[in-house]
Amino acid sequence: MPKAARILLALVVLAAAVLLPRVAGPFWLGLVTQMYVFGLLALSVDLLLGHAGLFSLCHASFFAVSAYTTAILQVRHAVPTALAAPAGILAGTILGLVFGLAVRTRGVYFILITIAFGYVVWGVAHRWSSFTGGDNGVTNVPFPALGTLRVESPTEYYYLVLAVLVLCTIGYRVLVASPFGLTLRGIKASETRMRSLGYHSDLHLYVAFVVSAALASLAGVLYVYYNRFVNPVAASFPISVEVALMAIVGGTGTIVGPFIGSGIILGLRNWVSSFFELYASVMGLVFIVVVLWAPDGVVGLVVRLWVRAVKAGTR
Amino acid sequence: MALSAIEVGDLTKDFGGLRAVDRVSLRVAAGERRVLIGPNGAGKTTLFHCITGTLRTSAGRVSLFGRDVTHLPEHRRTALGMGRTFQTSNVFMDLSLLENLVLAIIGTDRRKWVMHRSVGTFEAVRAKAREGLELVALAHRANDAAKFLSYGERRQLELALALNSDPRVLFLDEPCAGLSPSERHSISRMIGELPRDITVLMIEHDMDVALRLADRVTVLHRGRAILEGTPTEVQTNPEVREVYFGHV
Amino acid sequence: MTTSAILQAINGTSLAALLFLLASGFTLTFGLMRVVNMAHGAYYLLGGYIGLSLAERTGSFAVAIVGGGASIVVLGYLIDRFLIRHTGDNHLAQVLLTVGVAFIIGDVALAIWGGDALKVPVPPFLRGAMELPGGLVYPTYRFVLILFGVFVGAVLWVLYRKTQIGAVVRAGVDDREQVSATGIDVDRLFVLVSAVASFLAGMAGVVGGAFLALYPGAEWEILVVALVVVIVGGLGSLEGAMVGALIVGLLDAYGRWLLPEFSYFVLFGPMAVLLLVRPRGIFGRES
Repeated sequence: MPKAARILLALVVLAAAVLLPRVAGPFWLGLVTQMYVFGLLALSVDLLLGHAGLFSLCHASFFAVSAYTTAILQVRHAVPTALAAPAGILAGTILGLVFGLAVRTRGVYFILITIAFGYVVWGVAHRWSSFTGGDNGVTNVPFPALGTLRVESPTEYYYLVLAVLVLCTIGYRVLVASPFGLTLRGIKASETRMRSLGYHSDLHLYVAFVVSAALASLAGVLYVYYNRFVNPVAASFPISVEVALMAIVGGTGTIVGPFIGSGIILGLRNWVSSFFELYASVMGLVFIVVVLWAPDGVVGLVVRLWVRAVKAGTR
Repeated sequence: MALSAIEVGDLTKDFGGLRAVDRVSLRVAAGERRVLIGPNGAGKTTLFHCITGTLRTSAGRVSLFGRDVTHLPEHRRTALGMGRTFQTSNVFMDLSLLENLVLAIIGTDRRKWVMHRSVGTFEAVRAKAREGLELVALAHRANDAAKFLSYGERRQLELALALNSDPRVLFLDEPCAGLSPSERHSISRMIGELPRDITVLMIEHDMDVALRLADRVTVLHRGRAILEGTPTEVQTNPEVREVYFGHV
Repeated sequence: MTTSAILQAINGTSLAALLFLLASGFTLTFGLMRVVNMAHGAYYLLGGYIGLSLAERTGSFAVAIVGGGASIVVLGYLIDRFLIRHTGDNHLAQVLLTVGVAFIIGDVALAIWGGDALKVPVPPFLRGAMELPGGLVYPTYRFVLILFGVFVGAVLWVLYRKTQIGAVVRAGVDDREQVSATGIDVDRLFVLVSAVASFLAGMAGVVGGAFLALYPGAEWEILVVALVVVIVGGLGSLEGAMVGALIVGLLDAYGRWLLPEFSYFVLFGPMAVLLLVRPRGIFGRES
């Protein structure tokens, strides 16, 4: 796609997003807010998966630790948003510094170890009930407020999330186009070659892991103010694997992909669960179908069709 | 005596019970062109891997311009001036040729950590990358992904990657393997034209290429360095004729 | 205090016996076929549920064990043959695909057996407690489970180390091409090993379901602990699964006893440290 067309498309999408609250009811607005939040989480997973080639299954941990930290500070200690939100991101990022040790391994080992790490966080959230509230979690999280500026409705919160999202995607775009972003793709393409060119590949992956954890933590903060409560489900393995699926369904290594994937998965879940009890089975089927028939995701599919159309057009 | 570019002492590499490299010692002078020859399975590539740090040695020492690098990881050795090519082309298939070269250029400096500016804004790096591609006659394909290159072009890119990491000592693992005679000729000409401030160690099966480029030749056989000498000395040595030329 | 410490050691060992049943199958299928099967936990749960229903119908624990194992052999074969086979060597695809399979199995099991925690009924002679030397009293079932685990471990070890077929499997773990070179039908070998792994997982569900309850979500909890066993022991190593199971079983028992809220830390912390020192586990080979 030529650059001008891409910018135009981005502006059209942005305009639609800005105008959405005028046409959508509360249900749809909530669903789209959720899609943004989980899209951001999927984007953080995709920094590792699509660019560096690492498949992390513990990103619900950063998401949840950040959400819990913010919620506990805000609800129990009446800490203002201006401190509680950064503290949440900081807590999730610090956990990323620890879990980042997983980059000592690759491939299956990395996958299995991140799964195990993820369970630690779930286990603590679940069992340390005196602090985390156990299965009930932390409830009654207020809307965020900055001094006298307060968010007072889901629509206002929607705009806040949208603004953060736009800033994040711009930042993400700069990051993946930077020399550092290029080194990640280099490691994905050939790590042995990278080492022989002078790269300490573990260190690059570690930094990427921490950056990715920070982004997931940001999503966690946005989540807790949207959801108004957090419980161990936020830290659970199904969240980690579903956001990875979102990135893949949408298309890895792209920026819009994770958001498209998030929209598809959340939309599907809402739709199926409204009339079919075995909705988890349907999600399971989506996993299988994606792996077997659409490994490049929706964006990959569109690109393929686009290329075909362009070829047909030039003929 | 002048400082050796590379000095290897009693280097040994075992794989399980198999000894691939057996107490090999080498001294390569700065600026020298050294060619390693030997039949298949003689341990040439393994020796290269051990010197450049791709594999850990089982025993022995490696030093680079007098500095002991035996226990340094590969990327540190590259930073100190080692550069290499791989026997089977090891280029970044999904990246464009330009990006391939950019990675080679920034590998040993701090720009690889920059996160807030796009690669496109580094004019000096891009210019150097283009130059690097011109040198191996691939500039016209700068924006193609490496996976679309022909086998021969990949070998050229492979060489360009090694050259652009600014090596003081260059290790070339069969740079001409699998190439047509004309491609072979152009690669060996490029190697021949390298400035003398780069020391070159090269594994080569093609005796014509090897003997034309080499100042000195080391013969490996069953993991051991059995002989070292000028190309003429090696060619006329009866033992070499038996173990090497006898097999070809 | 001492008594509790000893009881926890027995608790840990009996959990280790169960974990070994699950982890050995996982590790062998990975070692030989390079297949990561995340549905292993779901196999455990489903095997347990089927065993439970069989035990309730027939009143026989033996039928439950064999039936639970055998039904998973059939299911596992179908999943291998029609789904996993299509992922080739792509571990990411295998993980996603088998997670999807596990979701479906878990969901269907929930629809059939409901959301309550259920226990497989144990035959009368295994109920109650027995007195151990030194006056300790301990549940008979869990003690027998240890013996059972040791028995299965011994059988597997003999098969793996002392028989021709075991030699081929070991060669395959080291280098898959070697197996093809021996002229053995690789496909049949894979089916065989995967059948053994499925049987062990299904059987583990029955055996484990008799003292740890079966409930939705149990499949992931047990799988993750089995994964730690495999990571600590080294993927693809039978001895690693034995040693790993023992370490993890004991850590879990003492963790739950001494630091109940952080027992997951006790379990995973040592794994993280081990990872720094030996990324491939205790018995894992460096690549």
